[in-house]
Amino acid sequence: MTTTPTPPHSLRTAAEPDTVPDPPPGAPDLHETDGHQPLRRDGDLLLTGRARFVDDIAPRGLMHAAILRSPHPHALIRGVDATRARERADVEVVLTGADAVDLATPLPHFFEPSIVGCRTTEFRCLATDRVRWVGEPVAAVVATSLAAAEAALDDIVVDYEPLPAVLDADEALREDAPVLFEEWGDNRLGLFPFAEGDAAAKIAAAPHVIRDELRVGRQHVAPMETRGYVAEWEPGGRLTLWASTQNPHPLRTNLATTLGVPEDRVRVVATRMGGGFGHKFNGYGEEPLVCLLSRLADAPVKWIETRKDCLLVGAREFTHRFEVGFDDDGVVLGLSDRIVGNIGCLAPWGGWSMTFPAGMTFPGPYRIADYAIESVPVVTNKAPWNGFRGYGKEQAAMALERIMDLVAEHRGIDPAEVRRRNFIPPEAFPFWTAAKHLDSGEYAAALDKALALAGYDALRERQAAALAQGRHLGVGIGFELTPEGGDFAGSFVRGFDTSTVRVHPSGAVSVLTGVTSPGTGNETSIAHLVAREFGIAVEAVGVTQGDTDSCPYGFGNFTSRSLATGGAAAVLAARELRERMADAASALLDADAADFEFRDGAVVSRTAPETSLTFAELAETIYRRGLAAPGLDQPLLEVTRIDLPHNFHHVPDDQGRFSAYPSFPYSAHVALVEVDAETGVVEVLEYSAIDDCGVVISPGFVAGQLYGAIAQGIGGALWEEVPYDEDGAPAAETFKHYLTPRAPDLPSFRLEHQHTPSPFTLLGTKGAGESGVGGAMAALLNAVNDGLRPLGVHAHRVPLTPPVVLDAIVSGGAP
Amino acid sequence: MIRTHLRYHRPDTPDDAAALLAEHHGRVAVLAGGSQLLPRMHRGEVDLDHVVDLRGLGLRAIERTGGRVRLGAMVTYDDALASALLAEAVPLLPRVARGVTGGRQLTGHATLVGALCHAFPGTDMPGALSALGATVELHGPDGPRECPVDEFLLGAQSIDRRPGEFVAAVTVDGVARSGYCKVKHATGSWPIATASAIEDGDALTVTLGAVQARPLRIVIPDPTRSAVDDAVAAAVTAPWTDVLAPGDYRARIAPVVARRALTELREGAHA
Ligand SMILES: Cc1cc2nc3c(=O)[nH]c(=O)nc-3n(C[C@H](O)[C@H](O)[C@H](O)COP(=O)(O)OP(=O)(O)OC[C@H]3O[C@@H](n4cnc5c(N)ncnc54)[C@H](O)[C@@H]3O)c2cc1C
Repeated sequence: MTTTPTPPHSLRTAAEPDTVPDPPPGAPDLHETDGHQPLRRDGDLLLTGRARFVDDIAPRGLMHAAILRSPHPHALIRGVDATRARERADVEVVLTGADAVDLATPLPHFFEPSIVGCRTTEFRCLATDRVRWVGEPVAAVVATSLAAAEAALDDIVVDYEPLPAVLDADEALREDAPVLFEEWGDNRLGLFPFAEGDAAAKIAAAPHVIRDELRVGRQHVAPMETRGYVAEWEPGGRLTLWASTQNPHPLRTNLATTLGVPEDRVRVVATRMGGGFGHKFNGYGEEPLVCLLSRLADAPVKWIETRKDCLLVGAREFTHRFEVGFDDDGVVLGLSDRIVGNIGCLAPWGGWSMTFPAGMTFPGPYRIADYAIESVPVVTNKAPWNGFRGYGKEQAAMALERIMDLVAEHRGIDPAEVRRRNFIPPEAFPFWTAAKHLDSGEYAAALDKALALAGYDALRERQAAALAQGRHLGVGIGFELTPEGGDFAGSFVRGFDTSTVRVHPSGAVSVLTGVTSPGTGNETSIAHLVAREFGIAVEAVGVTQGDTDSCPYGFGNFTSRSLATGGAAAVLAARELRERMADAASALLDADAADFEFRDGAVVSRTAPETSLTFAELAETIYRRGLAAPGLDQPLLEVTRIDLPHNFHHVPDDQGRFSAYPSFPYSAHVALVEVDAETGVVEVLEYSAIDDCGVVISPGFVAGQLYGAIAQGIGGALWEEVPYDEDGAPAAETFKHYLTPRAPDLPSFRLEHQHTPSPFTLLGTKGAGESGVGGAMAALLNAVNDGLRPLGVHAHRVPLTPPVVLDAIVSGGAP
Repeated sequence: MIRTHLRYHRPDTPDDAAALLAEHHGRVAVLAGGSQLLPRMHRGEVDLDHVVDLRGLGLRAIERTGGRVRLGAMVTYDDALASALLAEAVPLLPRVARGVTGGRQLTGHATLVGALCHAFPGTDMPGALSALGATVELHGPDGPRECPVDEFLLGAQSIDRRPGEFVAAVTVDGVARSGYCKVKHATGSWPIATASAIEDGDALTVTLGAVQARPLRIVIPDPTRSAVDDAVAAAVTAPWTDVLAPGDYRARIAPVVARRALTELREGAHA
């Protein structure tokens, strides 16, 4: 089977200018980072526990839903008998898969696999004739209390005929494996190839070759707040869904389609989010299901995901089989990696598509002319994936960084030096690879800063001294290139977004934007940008997100694009309003419009500062006298803009190269660990990192993202895993089993920043949010292996839990 | 969500408590701190109609009885940490309590006896109490009964508790010199292996917890490395496997944990 990841040409974005427009006269320099940022909006509410989340929504007459899930990894459903459940006095509705078929169409995919040449199939909100994973929804109950709804689940009898299941991706690829979707013939969802040059020939001719394998276990996002939906389907036909979701507008569109309701009669409100990270991309069956249940119950209905159900959603289970050829100096001559992603069962959730960036991100920050990467998504009878911060890019970081260290070890060269010899040099940008048009970068400079911050040479000395005492310290470098802001035409995963800016007569300003906040503080940054354009206090700017009744259509929150898209759109809208207001000031004060600057809450003539109006006076005058007074010709103080397309290359060039991501932040990490060689326990002792995400609007929020990304990366590298038992059920059901890092597990991080602006984005920003996850995973992977070096073993199985590390040590010799 | 209609009882005397437990046997649980019981009820793992709260019985004292020390069933980890008597007479218990995670939200209400009765292999208390030669004082419809802890712990999440009985207290030996070691993956992890080392006159013992379904008390004839390793290796015959670690991992690290507990016994705690 051959597939191509390139979107059809007809879906290209119209304009692809490579340059950013000049700012209008008097506008603030967008690339200037003064280090000042306003306090996080609602920070006080969050800190004092008064912020409201979806579970706080309780309309009058609220009822509660519980969902019956499959106990089998693979089975036919021969029948469902819900008679006894329906007879319970406190039960309002029981809905089975068969009942739901007539009430809802198949679910639209978050990301339709066929857009990128993959196989696809249809899914319903409840399984009808077959279940393919433990936890797949089979029936739902609405009752007057959650306890009653859960209790009623025991009274639904499902007649299952178990089928053979397959949990391992390699086994799923065997010819005799049980096939999940019979019409496909096998379990391969697709194939994403990324290649340039002739890797096989270069590897064959290389003086040195390493072949190895890296395995990453199934991991999970673990948001503090699980998913949840509250639906209220009013008798008049209007439907409101409060949802902890990252994509309120696409969710509304999909609800309209699935439920057959005019889109404008559906309102989705994305409630404040207690963690998203991709877990709350839309596409879940529970979204339309809870709406249907509300209609059937004739009452508002709430469903909140339990922690156990939350832990069903997977990510990151990959195997890399790589081969690298290199010369005496450690310069890589050819590279191949065959990546297999165990995506669990396919679902309308979009997580399977993480297998695309997993391959696309190669060869990362390195100039490798000849490489051949294949990423193969494989379905199994585990629960499906949804997005997980890093989105597959962390896979490339781990594999590439491990390869750099293996090359260094082989040649006896310092691992930092091997990286310097392979980096893309600063003068080579913009730089093309098979599927990326890299914007800008000073990679070696960032690495050198990270080494200095870590005191790299001193670390090596401490390592040697410790070893003399029988202690195994390990120093690990991780360098991560993080493609951000992806645009996938044909889906609702788009690279642009929309903002409306409205100036009220009082001088208050509203921003309504299509990007949502997962809790990162982007609403504060957007307010800051708009306030800066108008020269007014940030408190005067309100930001509304996530309510489809009031906000312009937008795609929500993913791939670290909020500021580059929604923020830039708001700046463009504010600039247009500023021009209108400057024109009005010009008419009212009889001065040249270009002469006005907006500062300190006023519109002031630069040449004659006594000629001025306050911002509020000007706004009010435009409303009161627009179209009546001479020169006040444009009284509309509301503008909606999208940000410009920037650095997207959807149409392959003459060499077949394309680029679906516009910006490429990166980060350099150095970790110091101690490996307890008797128990395999790894302690993280020190951590330093440099990030470069171009221009920074809010340094505190960027640092916050990096802190979180590093913590998440360390957790993924060392502890986080959802194993499956022999019966095909996930074995980690609580946070005593799924081990995310806690404060005592982490050292305090030393962070510094480098700023290489993107020449392609309005703000010069590159996206900050995911960057750091992969770098941390790679740094820890290398640090642990560095600690194991004196023992002559490698550990290439992530997470590097104590049993994994001790296994490697006990296995002795052969890594 | 707790799915059943629950009746909450708070008896004032041990006999009333025993009577309630006997009356509703099979549909009732003892409620101590509730830190295991309530989450399990929420997850639908236990299905009950009654809970009997022991708070009305005044079982929260730590006191000397003859040569031993008695801890009431409602003594929490925080109580153990604050007790001058334990610090002096049985320092192993506060030492263990210090390493229990969950923060103040847990340590302020979770009880040592509750942990013992939960009898989950991957925890601290069963091993530590076994090391101290604890005696479990039960109270039932026929009055009090005593049971050595090693007989009380029947297996993973299985205890010798007869219909109507609850644990009123445990008594332990006063042991001034002890050492403890716990290995786990990360802060949030259940203990993977624990060892309590105790010196009683000339006798040296190490009690392993979390390594098998029940604690393993091992007499250490000779504290040299190889002798300890051999004694432990011989004793560990059926290592416990759970989500976090396979049995062979526990078997591998058991001697290490034993040695480290002995080192702490000899040199004092560093942490
Ligand atoms: C966040 C968290 C972190 C934890 N960390 C650790 C750790 O680091 N190490 C560790 O070892 N443990 C740990 N635990 C487990 C903890 O030790 C136990 O949950 C706690 O001690 C149980 O005591 P409880 O009083 O809350 O018991 P409960 O939940 O009230 O009861 C537990 C069980 O014992 C029964 N029971 C209780 N008391 C009696 C009695 N007197 N007579 C008869 N039956 C009784 C109950 O019916 C129930 O079945 C942790 C738990 C949590 C929630």
